[in-house]
Amino acid sequence: MAAGLVKIACGTESLDIRLEEEKALLGDRRVSFRVRRLNGRLVGIEIEGRIFSLRSARVGDALRIWCQGRVFEAQKASSLAARARETGNLVSPMPGRVRRVEVAAGDRVERGQVVVIVEAMKMEHAIRSPREGIVGSVLFQEGDLVDAGVELVEIE
Amino acid sequence: MIQSLLIANRGEIAVRVARTAREMGIEPVGVYAEAEADAAHIGQMDRAMSLGSGSPLETYLSIPKLLAAAHGAGAQAVHPGYGFLSESAEFACAVSEAGLIWIGPPPAAIEEMGDKVRARRRMREAGVPVVPGSNESAQSDEALAAQAVEIGFPVLVKASAGGGGKGMSRVDSAQDLPAALSEARRVARAAFGSDRVYLERFFERPRHVEFQIFGDRSGNVAHLFERECSVQRRHQKIVEETPSLALDPALRGKMGLAAVEAARAVGYVGAGTVEFLLDEQGRFYFLEMNTRLQVEHPVTEETLGLDLVRAQIEVAQGVLLPEAWRRGSLAPRGHAIELRLYAEDPVSFLPRTGRLLAWEEPSGPGVRVDAGVQEGSTIGLDYDPLLAKLVVSAPDRPAAIARARRALAEWVVLGVETNAPLLDVVLASEEFASGRYATDLVSRLPLAAAAPIPDAVWIAAALELSHGSPRGGEAPRSLEPWDETSGWRPGS
Repeated sequence: MAAGLVKIACGTESLDIRLEEEKALLGDRRVSFRVRRLNGRLVGIEIEGRIFSLRSARVGDALRIWCQGRVFEAQKASSLAARARETGNLVSPMPGRVRRVEVAAGDRVERGQVVVIVEAMKMEHAIRSPREGIVGSVLFQEGDLVDAGVELVEIE
Repeated sequence: MIQSLLIANRGEIAVRVARTAREMGIEPVGVYAEAEADAAHIGQMDRAMSLGSGSPLETYLSIPKLLAAAHGAGAQAVHPGYGFLSESAEFACAVSEAGLIWIGPPPAAIEEMGDKVRARRRMREAGVPVVPGSNESAQSDEALAAQAVEIGFPVLVKASAGGGGKGMSRVDSAQDLPAALSEARRVARAAFGSDRVYLERFFERPRHVEFQIFGDRSGNVAHLFERECSVQRRHQKIVEETPSLALDPALRGKMGLAAVEAARAVGYVGAGTVEFLLDEQGRFYFLEMNTRLQVEHPVTEETLGLDLVRAQIEVAQGVLLPEAWRRGSLAPRGHAIELRLYAEDPVSFLPRTGRLLAWEEPSGPGVRVDAGVQEGSTIGLDYDPLLAKLVVSAPDRPAAIARARRALAEWVVLGVETNAPLLDVVLASEEFASGRYATDLVSRLPLAAAAPIPDAVWIAAALELSHGSPRGGEAPRSLEPWDETSGWRPGS
């Protein structure tokens, strides 16, 4: 069981999480939990007796999670998401090739709007704007190879 | 006797047909484009023929390649599925001329119903009520303007050679008509190769109710009741059900009769669907006829206990419709709902691509999944983004709705985003529950505020991400059959 503090970003939220043996501190809430594994894979979390089935798969630095019919994507906030939130710029979460740029300088974007599509591992990853704003400059174009953590688009 | 059947399609419908073929002792032969030589549907075939490399146009839509595949495999018959060449009179003719049995209606019926304007005229002649619309001959702006006044605004401009809602636009007044016509012609020419257009009365909140019909070679025609298909987004159906709460027994009887008349008027053989619009006053109008098996056929199968693909193959071999069908003594039982799971971005509704890192289908009583993908499948942009159909059946409608939600919540899909959240919003809505909904249901649904992220998800993320992140991203799931953690089930 992992102990220590980790900051996780999921969707547009982030949370400081400290895990101890069967106890988690989620922000300032304490939750007891147990882990359910099948052949070493995490297949569920039991919280105060209530079972939550889930599955997960890594995609670059991100973790995709399915939980009872809903899907989520989480990352360590220390890696990329935090930088994006801080600077307001969009960064690529994984190495890949810019497949499509959906916006141009001066465009108004909404929160959640797809801004760039990066292709990696035969998958397209839609990079969304974390907030409303105006596109400053687009730093890459279609066909360019990008590394994880590289800024893609400036949003003011 | 058909011993070997070429299935000229891919994805879930190819699997669907293959399963029935096997049950009938017929060898299913599949086809595939080289670009998807690892496609899931191939695993369900006894044999598979390559259609070479190239786009769908050069493979699944290539009549010479499909015929060559049939001959190469020694197949006696061809089933076209839906989409692709299923409504191509040319393909139907070519199959027959090649000495093969066509599992579908006569080419003449396909042709007659393929041209929407011709179909409407044929229906008027047969005494079937049609949506008030313009004369086929009216093509000039002046002629169409005059027709629009007769029909009454608002009107819908549609492409004569079109379908699937493409190239349609609503026009509210005479001054908006010329621009709408010019745009419609432009789109129609690009999409369907013909700029012929026609007008129809626009209904504010119509319901879309279709009837399954079947004809045999001796001229018998019967209907197998209705399917309610009003849950649509951008004119694409996403939820279908039977029975339809919009019909009482009297209306059902009248519409069933009209559907049978429509099919009889074109000498229909095999499975077909007559689509009607229901206006807010409960009047019905012929919309169009689909001369093939429909995507949503399973809800009919589940409530009647039938195998429509089997019936198609039997009818093609000269078997008569069962007497119970001809007598109209069939009675559907219970309620069935189909949900279409599409690979798409739930926010932008754009098609998504990716690889299915996890795929676990729901099951249990009254749950059926017709899927064309499996864990590890690559979802690309070349083909229809329909991943699978979830078909639930239950003794009554509320039980069916609860079952559908339960099954959706069980369905593990990781790797591509899907419309599952939208499907659940539909099922949970009061409007859907009431059964009193129309084709604008999806647009009327309030955008659900995102539910809070479950604690279990935060904890799982912290657990898995604390161990350091591999760069370059490998999916930790192996696809080897002997790896128990992968969820790959041999034989499935």
